[in-house]
Amino acid sequence: MNPEFILGLVLLLGGTIAAAFPVPKTYLNRLINLEISAWGLLLLMLSYNEALALLTFGGVSALSVYIFVRVIQKKEAPA
Amino acid sequence: MTPQEAALAVCAVIAVYAAIRVALEPDTLRKLPFLNVLSFAVAGSIALLIPHPLSIVAAAAYFVGSTLESNAIASTYAGGLDRRE
Amino acid sequence: MQEGWIAVNNIALMAFGALAIIGALLTIVERDPFRKLISLGILVGGSVPFIVDRGLLDVAIAVALIAPLSTIFILMVCGRGDQ
Repeated sequence: MNPEFILGLVLLLGGTIAAAFPVPKTYLNRLINLEISAWGLLLLMLSYNEALALLTFGGVSALSVYIFVRVIQKKEAPA
Repeated sequence: MTPQEAALAVCAVIAVYAAIRVALEPDTLRKLPFLNVLSFAVAGSIALLIPHPLSIVAAAAYFVGSTLESNAIASTYAGGLDRRE
Repeated sequence: MQEGWIAVNNIALMAFGALAIIGALLTIVERDPFRKLISLGILVGGSVPFIVDRGLLDVAIAVALIAPLSTIFILMVCGRGDQ
């Protein structure tokens, strides 16, 4: 039980609950709360010393945030 | 306590103080200088945390990245880039 | 002296863990997107020193350069708010 493991579990659970039930119910708040959960998963991978997994997850996380941003822009532009 | 440990302790104390000031600030635009202070303290403590020649590169990368992030938030909050067209 | 180094490192890592917890709670509680992004900056600042303390310096360099990029991507969507 490293400190990284406990901190990663807390951030993962809190971020997931906050992304499932955001307080102002908008897509942007869901996306920002999803970032907390992503950092929790990154700390959880860190506690198992997986360097290649950390590098890959960091790159793919930024890419998926860009894709979500494009989706939200495309959905909110006509409205 | 060696001088490096003292510097690390000072950097950690400054980081926690800046985080508390950011948390208790009601104005959004006044949060950003304290976020910059937090970033400087974290960059300094990254450089002091382990004695390795590559750690100064990590500190420089974090410094550049966090300053860019803070300035991007401030620029977008103050009106954004696409206001003139 | 070696023992003292480890002790000060542990105290500093406890401070950064508190920083990450403060950032996560503040990100969940805030309502304005800009304030949420500022709190997310506190969370990032709290969790990057854990990567450095493990000795994975290359991962720390990559993550410290990628994390502001994702914040700037999110800023592309919330820039239209208060014109």
